[in-house]
Amino acid sequence: MSGSGEVVVPIRADVDVVIARQKIRALVLDLRFSGSELTLIATAISEVARNIVSYAGSGEIVMRVVRQGQRRGITVVARDQGPGIADIERAMEDGFSTSRGLGLGLPGSKRLMDEFELVSEVGKGTEITMTKWER
Amino acid sequence: MAKQPSVGAGISEQELVQRKAFLEFRDDDLANLMSINDVARQYADSMIEDFYKHLLSFEETSAFFHDPQVLERVKRAQQQYFLRLTQGNYDLAYAENRLNIGAIHERIGLPVKAYLGMYNYYLRAVATRLVEAYRDAPKQAWTGFLSLMKLTFLDIGLAIDTYINSRERTIREQQEAIQELPTPVLPFREGMLLVPIIGLIDSQRARLLTEQLLSAVRANRAKVVVMDITGVQAVDSKVGNHLVQTVEAARLMGATVILAGVSPEIAQTMVTVGIELGRMTTVGDLQSGIERAEELLGYTVTRTRTRSQAT
Amino acid sequence: MRASILKQNRFLIASVQGSMSDADLVQLRDELGSGVRRHRSTGVIIDVTMLDVMDSFAVRTLRGIAQMVKLLGAECVVVGIQPEVAFSMVQLGLTLEGMTTALDLEDGLDALQARAPVRSSLL
Repeated sequence: MSGSGEVVVPIRADVDVVIARQKIRALVLDLRFSGSELTLIATAISEVARNIVSYAGSGEIVMRVVRQGQRRGITVVARDQGPGIADIERAMEDGFSTSRGLGLGLPGSKRLMDEFELVSEVGKGTEITMTKWER
Repeated sequence: MAKQPSVGAGISEQELVQRKAFLEFRDDDLANLMSINDVARQYADSMIEDFYKHLLSFEETSAFFHDPQVLERVKRAQQQYFLRLTQGNYDLAYAENRLNIGAIHERIGLPVKAYLGMYNYYLRAVATRLVEAYRDAPKQAWTGFLSLMKLTFLDIGLAIDTYINSRERTIREQQEAIQELPTPVLPFREGMLLVPIIGLIDSQRARLLTEQLLSAVRANRAKVVVMDITGVQAVDSKVGNHLVQTVEAARLMGATVILAGVSPEIAQTMVTVGIELGRMTTVGDLQSGIERAEELLGYTVTRTRTRSQAT
Repeated sequence: MRASILKQNRFLIASVQGSMSDADLVQLRDELGSGVRRHRSTGVIIDVTMLDVMDSFAVRTLRGIAQMVKLLGAECVVVGIQPEVAFSMVQLGLTLEGMTTALDLEDGLDALQARAPVRSSLL
């Protein structure tokens, strides 16, 4: 754990996905998130971590508590140096009920969090930044 | 050495540095203020007297100082404040103390304009006295005054933010209270829940409702939920989607949701918006909803007495 | 952490633990497959009460297990999805469509009784 209150979880195998989920729960103990919101966050992390394992092989998840005035939140960055996403638009295609798009669970993760940003370059890698704020 | 911030208030070292930078409050300001400290101490008492005479001459502010004991206490506290302004060392402890003072004023209900008015009076009174005291060195009076102005604006900024935080906390508590006005989730028969929804549903309320409903399904081991929206005027696409999600989430927990009281207008909206009705059971009124639920659960309701026989 | 599989008459009950690895899940699938065959089970319950998160991978895996079980001639019911998990799943658009779900073990067994084919038994 680095000094600024960040938690870094290297993602190399499916077991690390579980570790990332456990770590986020520990990190947000102080924050005012309901049980449901915690599950939403853990689920979003699970999705993006899973993508790292499946498509990039390895990467990392970095989580930290953030502030916006009096409001606190959690920011999760999932980054890898994998193949990148060629068709970002299609990856982010949203279909409420079925799993359309590329099956990366990205539109779903976006719905689970308050802020969501995706940067990806073919051959370079992908970085997803998501934030959820206390209500 | 970092102190624990008081409840609700709180400022980081970094934020204090940023505020000072923005006001261009630097080391020479620190020096200027400390150099006018002696003069400040001389006029402290007369300033306080004049200051409170001014406050008490206005109905709006005198209302806060009817009690003579309170007045004495406040005067003394104010004197401490004035003296502190020129004692230097404007560190985190100083800032937190200002936040606390702001919180106290907010709690007693002193309006912001009165608070600002007080600072205004103070600055003008100080300016007059500084000019007098530094007759032979007017530049020193001026630089002293400018530094004092920077410092008081730092104080005002902190105090105003306390007011705002306090208001925001109150608003948040009220919002939570409103949300807790439950949409009741009522166990109706064994295995059945009744959820009467009234009024406007926004996304947040819909979300809360879903959470409550799902929790209740587990707690009551419900297999059927009758969600009655007779009392709901209109449903937009977002809320419609929330309803669909609620139905699907309940199904994951083994429960069937019957949406009752769907008005023709709402039905039209749902069709227009393209809400998938395939997975939802909808009926026009509450009675039909309950009957459908009873059917699913295997209840048969038989009437054994006529209306006239009922006492 | 693995799953435990219990036999109750003609049914098999598999409880999924919170932190199963891919390998554990594959093992679960295989054991259920051989279990259904060995015991001629007519129904399988997959109990996910202990799962704190169901992401798209978990759903795909469950779906795969359910399909396998059905191909082997047994019914499959998923039980124990927690309120928060159900909520997240629908937000993600994961609905376990086509799969039978029930609240808990008790309801799951009832559902199997109602659905599972009756088989003649040898004394």
